[in-house]
Amino acid sequence: MALLEFHAAGKRFGEVAALDGCSFTARPGRLTGFLGPNGAGKTTAMRAVFGLVRLDSGSVTWHGAAITAAVRARFGYMPEERGLYPRMRVREQLVYLGRLCGQPAHEVERSVDGWLERLQLAERGRDRVDALSHGNQQRVQLIAALVNEPELLVLDEPFSGLDPIAMELMAGLLRDMAAAGATVLFSSHQLDLVAGLCEDVVIVDHGRVVLAGELEALRAAVPERFVDITFTGPAPDWSALRATPVETSDGHARLRVDSLDDIQALTSAAGDGTSILSLSFEPPTLSELFRRAVAT
Amino acid sequence: MNGMNGLRQAWLVAVREMRERARSRAFLASLVMIVAVVAAMIVLPAVLLGRDRSVDVGLSGATPAGLPATIEVQASAVGTTARLHTYATRAEGEDAVRHGTVDVLVVDGRTLEWPRSVDQRVEAVVSGAIQVVAIRDRAAAEGISPRQLGDLVAPVPLTNVELSSVAGRTSGDQTATLVMTGLLVVIISSYGGLVLTGVVEEKTSRVVEVLLARIPPRSLLAGKVMGIGLLGLAQVAVTAVAALAAVTAVGSLDVPAIRGTVIAWLVVWFVLGYALYATLFGALGALASRPEDAQSAVAPMSALMVASYLAAFAMVAQPDSVAARAISFFPSTAPLAMPGRIAMGSPAWWEPLLALAITVASIAALVRLGGRLYAAAILHGGPALSLRAAWHAAKESQPAHPRPIRRNTVNPAETTRYRVTVTILMLVGVVLGVGVGAATSDVIVGVIAGAGFIALTVQAFKLWTGHGGATVTRT
Repeated sequence: MALLEFHAAGKRFGEVAALDGCSFTARPGRLTGFLGPNGAGKTTAMRAVFGLVRLDSGSVTWHGAAITAAVRARFGYMPEERGLYPRMRVREQLVYLGRLCGQPAHEVERSVDGWLERLQLAERGRDRVDALSHGNQQRVQLIAALVNEPELLVLDEPFSGLDPIAMELMAGLLRDMAAAGATVLFSSHQLDLVAGLCEDVVIVDHGRVVLAGELEALRAAVPERFVDITFTGPAPDWSALRATPVETSDGHARLRVDSLDDIQALTSAAGDGTSILSLSFEPPTLSELFRRAVAT
Repeated sequence: MNGMNGLRQAWLVAVREMRERARSRAFLASLVMIVAVVAAMIVLPAVLLGRDRSVDVGLSGATPAGLPATIEVQASAVGTTARLHTYATRAEGEDAVRHGTVDVLVVDGRTLEWPRSVDQRVEAVVSGAIQVVAIRDRAAAEGISPRQLGDLVAPVPLTNVELSSVAGRTSGDQTATLVMTGLLVVIISSYGGLVLTGVVEEKTSRVVEVLLARIPPRSLLAGKVMGIGLLGLAQVAVTAVAALAAVTAVGSLDVPAIRGTVIAWLVVWFVLGYALYATLFGALGALASRPEDAQSAVAPMSALMVASYLAAFAMVAQPDSVAARAISFFPSTAPLAMPGRIAMGSPAWWEPLLALAITVASIAALVRLGGRLYAAAILHGGPALSLRAAWHAAKESQPAHPRPIRRNTVNPAETTRYRVTVTILMLVGVVLGVGVGAATSDVIVGVIAGAGFIALTVQAFKLWTGHGGATVTRT
């Protein structure tokens, strides 16, 4: 029951509907990828969780109840527009941001020291933020979202601008947070990364959820399959077999078929001088799911 | 519980403001400089003027008996000491005058020789003594005893009555009031300016979204105003202590005897005036996205403050008039006008309390209103937001979004409407100025009223429509 729920959330900015009946859930102990083209309403939805945007209609709930300031104190947020006080010292700034969530000073300090240690920033605690490298500033920004050991972690494009090592660190951290029981919702345009990281995905477009659920189930639920086939002899007429070639080369083809039945038809293509050497089929990747969902 | 939490968060914000600012070198340098300047302003004149506190009088020729002793008595009567130098010849004495050894040479008890012009202070001492000696000699010749003489010349006590003044009010009170009002404006605008830049910096560095995800906008605004205000109060207190220490050390300056209650009220009105204006500064500052836009965003505020100052300044001459009473209750002018009226003993006991209640209520309303404007404008990037756009966004309690919000892009029809409105406002201002001038038969008051009206309304209109000075020309 401990989950974040959007119930038909609606938000207009003048003529533009940023959110238009947006409904989805993010569950605890899991990573939920929040996907969608630019301008789909991802940032607006995330801001709505923190009261930075007041919804015109619908609601956002946590544990089935409205999100109050006291509830929000147990949330962590990393906005897309990164920002810290540039001239404030790292440790003091993090302690300050943690204390704004309402925890006593000594608890916040212990948490901050733990995170600084873990992200290899322990010896930089007394430095000013603007004295840190870009990568280290990103880490401080991440700790700012984590200082209150949040039950819900919302991150807007956490992977943008990170180098591969930092990305790995971020991915590991998010996995650990989820493993510790937190609900983690983050937006990203890096679909391969999301596919490797998230159990659940939510895809929004024009302020509406176009696809949501467990990633593997979503992939399996799509009747479409991609078939890799190697063969000897002349290439069969794929369209007669109700398959669409995605790429073809001599003796190999990657085909898209619209249902599992079509795969049966493909196997019967053997004969007539063509013999199939290998045939494998798999459900669409997240990227293909995304393109399918957003195009319609 | 929610309110308590908001207060606690505002206090955390205030503590951060104080700690970060108090630690900055710029703040410490400015504090040291202000203290040094104030101390110097008090100590230097005292040292320079008090250097020559004694009078050097040269005597030559036939000096009347008793003159030297009388000069000394006269000198001590006006708070100085006289040193006497006797010269055998007049030429020797004149040399001493030329070399500055003595301030004046008394020849034969009748001629006073000066190096250049007559020194009034020295002349009063010396000529007074000569007259006293002469009268005493003549009286003795007429057979009048020194005791009878004393009775004859005993002064009649006189009473001064200033018809324009009220009992217990002196011109010193008026001067103190003018100084206090000026000081209040300077202090309020400098610390209000710190609030303004603080708000814009938070918006520029984008830290504000991180903050507002944790605390309500009004806590952020109130905490910032509170922190900078407490720091300002501490700075003023340090400066005042330094000034008092300097006065005590010099020990010579006439400090106007200001009553303790006046000082207490002054502190109260400093706090309220600052809170009122700083909240406005903060709320309007949120409309700007870049430091360059900050000043134009608060231009109407600055105009309001100058107008309020002029009104309070004009009030000093007639602290009991209806106009003076009115402006000492109006929120924007009360902090500037009321302390002066209190210093001059003008208001009835309940008047400062009523003005206090009105001002506190206005501040509370401004913090709420400012918080909403702040919330609407603070997440808005790009060009400075017009007040109208922020206001509409605030009514819906949503952050202004770049796309639908009217920006400062200017189209010809709007420019025309803008120019027409400004022209009308100016004409109304001129008519108002002429009217006020005719009614009060005072040209200066008329000019102030007319110009003040134009400045205020045009600036407010600019802010409302987003026609900033620089942005009007941009296409």
